[in-house]
Amino acid sequence: MGHVSIRGYGIVSAYGIGTAPLVAGLRAGRAALAPLVESPIPALRGLNVSALPTGLFASDQHGAIATVMAAVDEALRRAGASAPLDDCALICGGTNTFAFAEHDYLRLQREPSGLRWHVHDAGFLTTQLAHALGVRGPVLTISTACSSSANALLVARDLVLRRRSPRALVVGIESLSAMTLSGFQSLMMLDPRGCRPFDAARAGLQLGEGAAALLLEPTGAGARVLGGANLCDIHHVTSANPDGSGMARCMRAALADAGVSKRDITAIKSHGSASRENDAAEAAAMRTVFDTPPPFTSLKGYLGHTLGACGVVETAALLATLEAGFVPATVGFSAVDPALGCAPIARSLPGDTGNYLLNFFGFGGNYASLVIAHG
Amino acid sequence: MVERGKIYIHAAAALAPQGATRAAECRPLTSDPDTDLRALTKHVLGQGLRQASHFVELAAIGARLCLDRLGRAPAPDMALYLGTGLGDVRKTASMFRQVLPPGSGMAAPFDFINATANIAAFYVARLAGVSARNLTLTQGAFSFECALRLALDDLRADAVPAALVGGVDENCFPRSVYLSRWLLRDDEIMGEGSAWLYLSAQPAGAVAELLWVRQLAKGQQSPAQWARTVSEALVKPADETLTLVGGGGLAPQEQAALARQLPRARWCTYMEFCGSFPTAAAFGVANWLEQASPGLWVHINRDADGATMLIGWRIAGI
Repeated sequence: MGHVSIRGYGIVSAYGIGTAPLVAGLRAGRAALAPLVESPIPALRGLNVSALPTGLFASDQHGAIATVMAAVDEALRRAGASAPLDDCALICGGTNTFAFAEHDYLRLQREPSGLRWHVHDAGFLTTQLAHALGVRGPVLTISTACSSSANALLVARDLVLRRRSPRALVVGIESLSAMTLSGFQSLMMLDPRGCRPFDAARAGLQLGEGAAALLLEPTGAGARVLGGANLCDIHHVTSANPDGSGMARCMRAALADAGVSKRDITAIKSHGSASRENDAAEAAAMRTVFDTPPPFTSLKGYLGHTLGACGVVETAALLATLEAGFVPATVGFSAVDPALGCAPIARSLPGDTGNYLLNFFGFGGNYASLVIAHG
Repeated sequence: MVERGKIYIHAAAALAPQGATRAAECRPLTSDPDTDLRALTKHVLGQGLRQASHFVELAAIGARLCLDRLGRAPAPDMALYLGTGLGDVRKTASMFRQVLPPGSGMAAPFDFINATANIAAFYVARLAGVSARNLTLTQGAFSFECALRLALDDLRADAVPAALVGGVDENCFPRSVYLSRWLLRDDEIMGEGSAWLYLSAQPAGAVAELLWVRQLAKGQQSPAQWARTVSEALVKPADETLTLVGGGGLAPQEQAALARQLPRARWCTYMEFCGSFPTAAAFGVANWLEQASPGLWVHINRDADGATMLIGWRIAGI
């Protein structure tokens, strides 16, 4: 369909602000993992998560906006651009609604002010960002669970390719909240010690928080989005078809959209959430598409699962490490699961020039795969 | 024969708050509707939806009504676009009560699953047997318009062969909880609805041509200046009937200014049948498509920020 350039990227993660601390952490194979200290729910305290460093930003909506703005600033700096972005679209993935609402709810309980509790609608953050950045192009929020910001990237790509907007800023944000932690805990999907993607002893997710931004333009230096696909696996509301057929279809559709042969994929950034069933389905899907899968890694052991934001957060993280010359090893993985028929990389690889496949698979069977060319 | 760039509406359905499935059955609301959809779900879908929420039922019923009216199987690669301003309000509110103090701290698993915004779109896709592009998107009072614009762009770019586009929002009780999500005047009804359009580039069997979804630039304008800007955006043949459908975000003085600017235009309303909610525009478009008369139709909506969104469709000799 044509490609667009990622002119700039920026990230705020559990490693701190910017790509430099993140690259250092991933190069060292060091997970940004620590016990949760603050939570209104005592049972959640002590759970291992990838939280932003304490005190980096306030935990309210202003803090969330500041977090995103830090990521946007880095992306714009890298692209040599600056606000106001009046010729730009803004497409956000993820909503942060739970975190905002939770913060306000607890504040009103602590300091009854007579003000009514207000739960912001899911597009609130996007609208605030659009105002702050002077965006006058299309503004939209995609809300498709863990594929949200990957789908936002695809929508933004289309807007640029179809000349609906000269450029597009894609943003993902996720803040840890008691609501999401409790929700995943009630589904018994969390590994309290931290995630172990594709490992024989994998036992669930490690949640994380962060924000990232990508600036897309039709041409110019930087990695290129060659193609991608979004589809719905209608097998089950929370689990993938165990044979991986839905995931395989998504990867194949992304390769076809990119015009890239499976032989031309250098490596895969898997979704790799460390859920027993979903890792098994993804492994089956990679074997279906590639016979022998190319080297693959998961970033969730480093950054945690940043849910709706992971599409942009993990794309930015991968681009940063490739630019620094390596594909990160799969932290958390140590024992091969023979049932999977394949295993992720346990040591980092050179970040070669080539095409990379990135997978993002969410609840509601919502899948997105991207093909990105580096170098 | 497919004409490049032209996109057609083949079917439309609007589920009204009191369970009315046809425009002719709709009655003006006099109080906040509190409708149990379980029986209607079984009736329309032929099965109940175990563990599914009211929001999912709303979405599923509306989508099925639309596909039934299509009169044939949808395209196998039909894409699905669900616009919602608020998502699953009831389950989200329930989650807050369960998790945050003084709640137990534990979320009910199915409440958590249902509170995920795209679960309704999953059920709609599953019930229709389609597994192609599937997007749930939101942008305040323009959530439906944004979904429709994206679908229109995808169809025009030939990226998808057909699209099912919906606007779904639910109310919740007590009203104070809803007011924490969507502000209402005291005299406004806390509405809900699920309305859907089936679109494709094939002209055969279409009920209307979808012309455009346009956002007008924001600006400090008087109602008269705003009405002039809107009328300039509505280029049409001089002898064609123009029908304006006023959305929930339109202030009375803006409607009056537009009526003065376009004195020959016919006006239609619908908010009295569905109440106020972020994607009421979908209800308005689908409801009036059912009662269609030839001419150019334009739905006009505004958001709290002062932006204007227009949806244009034409019913004539197609």
